[in-house]
Amino acid sequence: MTVIETEPPAAASGDLSGEAYRVAMRRWLRANLPANFRSDSAAFSPPTLPQSIAWEAAMYRAGLAGIIWPKGYGGHGRTLREHLIANQEIGALAMPESVNSIGKELAGPIILAVGTEEQKRRFLPAILEMRDIWCQGFSEPEAGSDLAGLRTRATRSGDTWRINGQKIWTSGAYRAQRCLVLARTGPLEDRHRGLAMFAVRLDAKGVRVRPIKSIDGRESFCEVFFDDVEVLQSDALGAPDEGWAAAIRVLEIERATNRMYRAWRFENELRHVISACKADPVLAQLVAERHYEVRLGEIVVDIEVLKAHVETAVDALVNGDRIGARGSLAKLHWSEAHQRFAALTLELLNQASLPLHPAVQVARRRFEAIYLQARAETIYAGTTEIQLGIIADRILQLSKGK
Amino acid sequence: MTLTGEGLQPSEFAVTAARAVADCADLSLREQARHLANDGLLGVMASHDVGGLDLPLAFAVPVVAAAGAGLLGFPLMEALLLGRVLQETQPRTAEAVVSGEMLATIAWQSNVSAAREGESVVLNGWIARAACAREADCLLVRIGESGAALVSTNSNGIVVEDATGLDLAVPEHAVHLEGVTIPAANLLPENTWRVLCSDANVLRAAAILGSAETCLTLAQEHASTRRQFGRALSYNQAIRHALARQKLGLEGIRHAITRSVGDEAGALQRDAAFLAAGVYGSAISEGALQIHGGMGFTWDVPVHRHLRRVRALQAQGDASEVLAALGRRYVGAIAPASDVTASR
Repeated sequence: MTVIETEPPAAASGDLSGEAYRVAMRRWLRANLPANFRSDSAAFSPPTLPQSIAWEAAMYRAGLAGIIWPKGYGGHGRTLREHLIANQEIGALAMPESVNSIGKELAGPIILAVGTEEQKRRFLPAILEMRDIWCQGFSEPEAGSDLAGLRTRATRSGDTWRINGQKIWTSGAYRAQRCLVLARTGPLEDRHRGLAMFAVRLDAKGVRVRPIKSIDGRESFCEVFFDDVEVLQSDALGAPDEGWAAAIRVLEIERATNRMYRAWRFENELRHVISACKADPVLAQLVAERHYEVRLGEIVVDIEVLKAHVETAVDALVNGDRIGARGSLAKLHWSEAHQRFAALTLELLNQASLPLHPAVQVARRRFEAIYLQARAETIYAGTTEIQLGIIADRILQLSKGK
Repeated sequence: MTLTGEGLQPSEFAVTAARAVADCADLSLREQARHLANDGLLGVMASHDVGGLDLPLAFAVPVVAAAGAGLLGFPLMEALLLGRVLQETQPRTAEAVVSGEMLATIAWQSNVSAAREGESVVLNGWIARAACAREADCLLVRIGESGAALVSTNSNGIVVEDATGLDLAVPEHAVHLEGVTIPAANLLPENTWRVLCSDANVLRAAAILGSAETCLTLAQEHASTRRQFGRALSYNQAIRHALARQKLGLEGIRHAITRSVGDEAGALQRDAAFLAAGVYGSAISEGALQIHGGMGFTWDVPVHRHLRRVRALQAQGDASEVLAALGRRYVGAIAPASDVTASR
């Protein structure tokens, strides 16, 4: 494993709060983030997997992962407001997405919610220390967003389950140690009932992972095949029939709180594209024209509204409310707002003068990738159409009957 | 309503305001002023010295939202703002506004020159978008970039034009000022206008929130009860998705307003709340009109009246210029990237 030399952990003492905590996190991140991780820098080159693992483990030691998880399971036991503060600081820097966001933001929370004491002690520290990278085995070839139509089966015999089936769109499965698998224990006709969740080791006998090349040229998606894979009861998460309820709970959390830094990253991207434009004589003139002032102003409003959604969600959670279907509102907003912004960045950067200013080259590399990746944002974590359906059914409670 | 408690919440004003707005339905402007004043609503932000409650802007938000929801035909936002703006320099006028004795309004657009003549000031020019100016006793007028002056409407040289504008319930008058002489004491301190506009934009967002919420409720009810081709309209996915988008917009307005009155809020958050309200509020009321079909165009269904109001508020706040200025400030604050790195 690559060793990343970092300053001592910023939050080891755990007695910082509020602004002092923010300052400590900011200082640590800016002092330690490797230059090649910054996609707004000329020094950028995509980090290797060992580099990412080392960096994220260092972030964890510095207090920047597992922020709200209980101390007994390796977490830092901090508040959701501090989690938001840390995320604002993470978002402010152009650093890569976590290679273990499924572990930290999906598997971890669900294990905390439905796992046994033994499972919490076994799985959670391994996620934070980056010993276990997780992927999410929900989608299937015959069922995209329609989880009630899953066909992968789990059959029990004593303390052992046997899993058979196929998952697809399993991001990062090729580099993961564990897969959060949703499998059917009852008949297909049961739809939402009879779904169970498992923590499946990807090196288990009978698991085969095949990467799929995606829109950005990377092999991040995978197909995962399960051929009579044996899973012990100790790796089953929650009671068999709790699988669907657990999945819904996880997805609500995913929509409402995952990558909480998104609005602040989005702002980092906006500042970056403007600073790049101002380095080029033609683009500098363009962004000073009323047409682009208005369009960039619209993006600023989009970002402020996104921050407002995130902060409202944090307030609700701090007050002990369940986010429920409201997570769909923020998801729908950020995914569409980011696509609008990404398209605008291309439009601007494509009008640059020749020869290209180095800052414009850096920005083009970053924003061309962002544009392509953003196309998936209205698909993953539930498509736009699914979110609209959730809002109509569960928030507005519109009648579907005759 | 108890006003002495430390734990007073803005939301507590919503219920009182909704009831007061409903009671105003068939009253004249003067009667509405006294009625709203009796409920303590006109002085929410004005100081105790002039009979107000001395509460922050956040407390005016639910009051103005309720007025929007109920299509109140009274320049409430103007009264709320004037009570506070005038409390230092014109305390007696502020008191009269807060108590409902005097009807005051603000001209949101102006092109007025002011010339000093001894202890007087002579005003010449045009003002517009002055809600209910024909019936008002006095008008606040913008002077120069950020100054303002209080003008009595019975002064010589004031010519009030017939109202134009989309909102028929709160007619927007244009006024011609031909050598109107006012006492120099009626000139308000420099910067008054800037602060006023900033607060006004938050309150406009609140008024739009109220209208948008009513529109969505009406559209939702209509879609659930109106049957076409043997089914409720809400059976159609296109209708369901349109309403879901309206809900997203509504919550966007609500959360942006909450953020704009928070502890760390500044001009950016306030402008963003106003702009978001304009964009989403128009879309929600236009969408509600569409869902009502032909019925939406009749006077029986108030959706088009809300649309009129939302568009009028957007124009009063000069949304297109606020948006361009916001973009200009944002772009202006960012340094050009160097060759080496764009990172801060």
